[in-house]
Amino acid sequence: MIDVVVVGGGPSGLAAASELGAMGHDVLLLEREDELGGLLNQCIHDGFGTILFSESLSGPEFADIFMNRIERAGVKVRLETYMRSVEKIEDHFVISTVTPEGVETFESRALVYAIGCRERNRFEIEIGGTRPAGVFTAGTVQRLVNLYGFLPGKQPVIVGGGDVGMIVARHLYLEGVESLLMVYPEDFFSGLPRNAQQCVLDLDIPYKPRTTVKRIFGDKKVKAVELVEVDKDWNMIEGTEKIYSCDSVILSVGLVPYSEKVEELGAEIDPATGGPVINEHFETTVDGVFSVGNLIQIFDYVDDAVKSSYTAAEGVDRFLKGSFDKTRSHTVLNPGEHVKTVTPQRIEYEGKDEITLFFRPGVEKENVEVRLLGKNGILKSFKKRYVRPSTLEDIKIPKSVLSGNPEVVIDVR
Amino acid sequence: MRLSQKVKKVLDKYPYDISFIVDGGIVFLEGKVEKHHEWVEIGLKVGQIKGVEGVVNDLSWEGKKRSKVERPETEIDNKLGAHEIVIIGGGIIGCSIARELSKYRCDVALVEKGPDVAMGQTRANNGMVHPGISPSKNTLKRRLNVLGNAMYDELCDELNVPFKRVGSLILITPRTLEGYRRYLPGPLYNIFLKYLLPWMVKKKGQRNGVKGIEILKGSEIFEYESVLIDDVISVVKIPSTGIVDPYALTIALYENAKKNGVKFYLNTEVVDFKKDKKSIEQILTDRGTIACEHVVNAAGLYSDEIADMAGSREFTIHPRKGVELLYNKRLEDKVDHCLAELKIPSHPTSKGGGINPTVHGNIIWGPTAVEVESKEDTSVEKETIHEIMERYSSILPDFPKTEFIRYFAGVRAASFTEDFIIRAAKEVENMLHVAAIQSPGVASAPAVAEHSVDLLKEMGVVLRPNENFEPDRDPIDRAADMDENELKRRIGKDGRWGNIVCTCEMVSEAEIVQAIDRGAESFDAVKRRTRAGMGECQESYCLLRIAEIISEELDVPLNEVKKEWDESEFFNGIVRGEEQ
Repeated sequence: MIDVVVVGGGPSGLAAASELGAMGHDVLLLEREDELGGLLNQCIHDGFGTILFSESLSGPEFADIFMNRIERAGVKVRLETYMRSVEKIEDHFVISTVTPEGVETFESRALVYAIGCRERNRFEIEIGGTRPAGVFTAGTVQRLVNLYGFLPGKQPVIVGGGDVGMIVARHLYLEGVESLLMVYPEDFFSGLPRNAQQCVLDLDIPYKPRTTVKRIFGDKKVKAVELVEVDKDWNMIEGTEKIYSCDSVILSVGLVPYSEKVEELGAEIDPATGGPVINEHFETTVDGVFSVGNLIQIFDYVDDAVKSSYTAAEGVDRFLKGSFDKTRSHTVLNPGEHVKTVTPQRIEYEGKDEITLFFRPGVEKENVEVRLLGKNGILKSFKKRYVRPSTLEDIKIPKSVLSGNPEVVIDVR
Repeated sequence: MRLSQKVKKVLDKYPYDISFIVDGGIVFLEGKVEKHHEWVEIGLKVGQIKGVEGVVNDLSWEGKKRSKVERPETEIDNKLGAHEIVIIGGGIIGCSIARELSKYRCDVALVEKGPDVAMGQTRANNGMVHPGISPSKNTLKRRLNVLGNAMYDELCDELNVPFKRVGSLILITPRTLEGYRRYLPGPLYNIFLKYLLPWMVKKKGQRNGVKGIEILKGSEIFEYESVLIDDVISVVKIPSTGIVDPYALTIALYENAKKNGVKFYLNTEVVDFKKDKKSIEQILTDRGTIACEHVVNAAGLYSDEIADMAGSREFTIHPRKGVELLYNKRLEDKVDHCLAELKIPSHPTSKGGGINPTVHGNIIWGPTAVEVESKEDTSVEKETIHEIMERYSSILPDFPKTEFIRYFAGVRAASFTEDFIIRAAKEVENMLHVAAIQSPGVASAPAVAEHSVDLLKEMGVVLRPNENFEPDRDPIDRAADMDENELKRRIGKDGRWGNIVCTCEMVSEAEIVQAIDRGAESFDAVKRRTRAGMGECQESYCLLRIAEIISEELDVPLNEVKKEWDESEFFNGIVRGEEQ
């Protein structure tokens, strides 16, 4: 029996596995690719590690630190591994995997899902028109350019003004793409300001805010798109359609957590995040099943995702040692006005430790007050200078602030 | 009244100067109308006249004429081959006929302009094997549908193609006769919907030859399908309705026909015919000439153009688009039967359609039915997606209707007589039209093939049984369907069975390589044979991985890997500094 199986060898999985290994647990890490690192491998730009290591690393450099830790911690790794099935039998898990070497079955006492998310595709944002070759998600383009050395096209339109869209734009610009256009529905790029400056503005890449793609044209290959302006609620404004010639469409329009596998095990899914509901130790509603990283919510910084994996590792450690106090006193955390998501969604254990609550604002506003509301009014409030929906916010509170409240609402005023 | 008088009476209702000729049951229309919908409407009105066997609609609208493919005029002096029978078109109909003919000792070839079979309406079909309850009397559809449906078990068993007789439920609800409510006051409305209407539907089905029809009322309805809206008044249950994967079946027919000696010319487009008097001697294609004794016109959307080209103008195809929404497999358990809400009169742009399970576990909503100007118009608009969600959620209110993973469209090859046109060409001695096969074309296909062979015999083709005919076909085995021991055994022999390339559908590298070995040359051809890329993420994980395998197996650079057709390469250009 293995102590814990970590599923997914991206940054969050690597962090959780290396921590647990360092604590002395018997850890098995499963990864579907033929190398560890996950998304980090296709992110050859820098900017990783500024919080954790106080230096700006590229994706692969950042991953390298954790791969060394994995090795030192004696974590067993299986690459090219597809998880065929997972079953909970009494108090342990039976995991059946498929690799080019064969079919293997493992038994473990705990499971950590770090399987991240996938990119939203054209069907999920309901782009009309035809379905020709030349429509890609940004991640596919990153892989194509970095790992295979090919370009998606010579005249791409990039949809989405987030960090990934901007980074892909810069990358394609530097790799010799002749003509680029970025469109996004917000008033300004939703990604980090430094990315907007360095990836788009400094390079004079053309962009159209408050614009989206309504239709794609072309029977065999993308020939053009129909651009349309949108209002502040992202509704298309009729009469503003314009045809724009291009040969490819690159979508960076959001991420969807890979929550299906966790859901199959019986874990409750939060409709707001799309990921599993977790408690302060990142345990899902199924005992012994933990979830970390972008499966929980989309982190803006890989450093934050890694830090949350450390917290989760402590939880797994306590679970394995049986030191969890099973008399749980629940506090359910719910998003209130101007808040879209809150994680963790539940606080289940008594304690004095400090916890980090992540929330995604539903509004762009300056000088706001973030409030925690319990049954007798405000439990605590914080000032924030500026919030916006594209930036994940966090607040740190002693757990005791919440105790005695079955429901706490977080709102922004 | 003579036919021409009846036609005149119809045309007189329109404010246009339309001239017409009636010749041997075929009506030729000439003139101008304002709008495309009038072109359709007039064609249909004329097509409905009793005794009309075909409508050639040369009316123009907004200065436009019906779409025609531009064909190259250059003559190619390359002899491709010579065959007794040449079938034009590799859809489910052409391939069914090819396989049926391979049961006889004759030299058969099939010409398809696309790079694969099932490239036209077949691939966008929802896979419903209709029971045959709806075609009206005196149609060819009615007979062939019921016959074809009954042939499915054996056919799919031989070809190793998944087929399920899931049965269908026709739902009668308070919305069924909304338009006629004022004629049925008070309790009469419900009594009619509960007792009379289901009985009428059942009787019609029985007259068509459909067996086993039952009427369900009250709680027994929800025993069959628990998720239905609770105001369903009565249900007509038809057990013989089935579901099949239409392109998987067509690929299987193609593979089996090929195994039994049929020669397939893919990527080969017919551009003209060389005739001696009223008989076709050679088919001219963009790749060379094929000599032939008989020609089967199974060209689907283009069957009218092929007929025209051969000098047998006798019908016009009016393209009718259908849009479908395909749902996530995790919703599989929500729908067990093919479901349709009966609406009288039927929806103006969506006559049929409904909610169907598929053999792969996806639920499919649709199709719509909209007349379009272009035969190639498979675009889908956002508004249509929302129309479908609204329309069909009336019977499944709790279904998560926004969780579709893909939408797509196909174009039906409808004739103005709205029936199949299966007959010897009127002006060409050795051409058989198997045209205008749209819904219920998939259900009818096996019977259409048998009927076509009978007609070929009548046309003088001598067919003796082929004692060497092998009815069976091996499918591509699927890692996802294997138990642990079987998968272990396979991986032990070949590690590619353990390299899962598409994680949504659990498709291994071995399956992709097998599809390529069987002739798939493009991403979509691999996809149709293996289901790789058909899951929830819609290729965003596996596109590059599959493209890489195709590139290696076919020994072409990655930027020459195609989605489907020529000029549909995915990638364009090499990153700076990597030239050469």
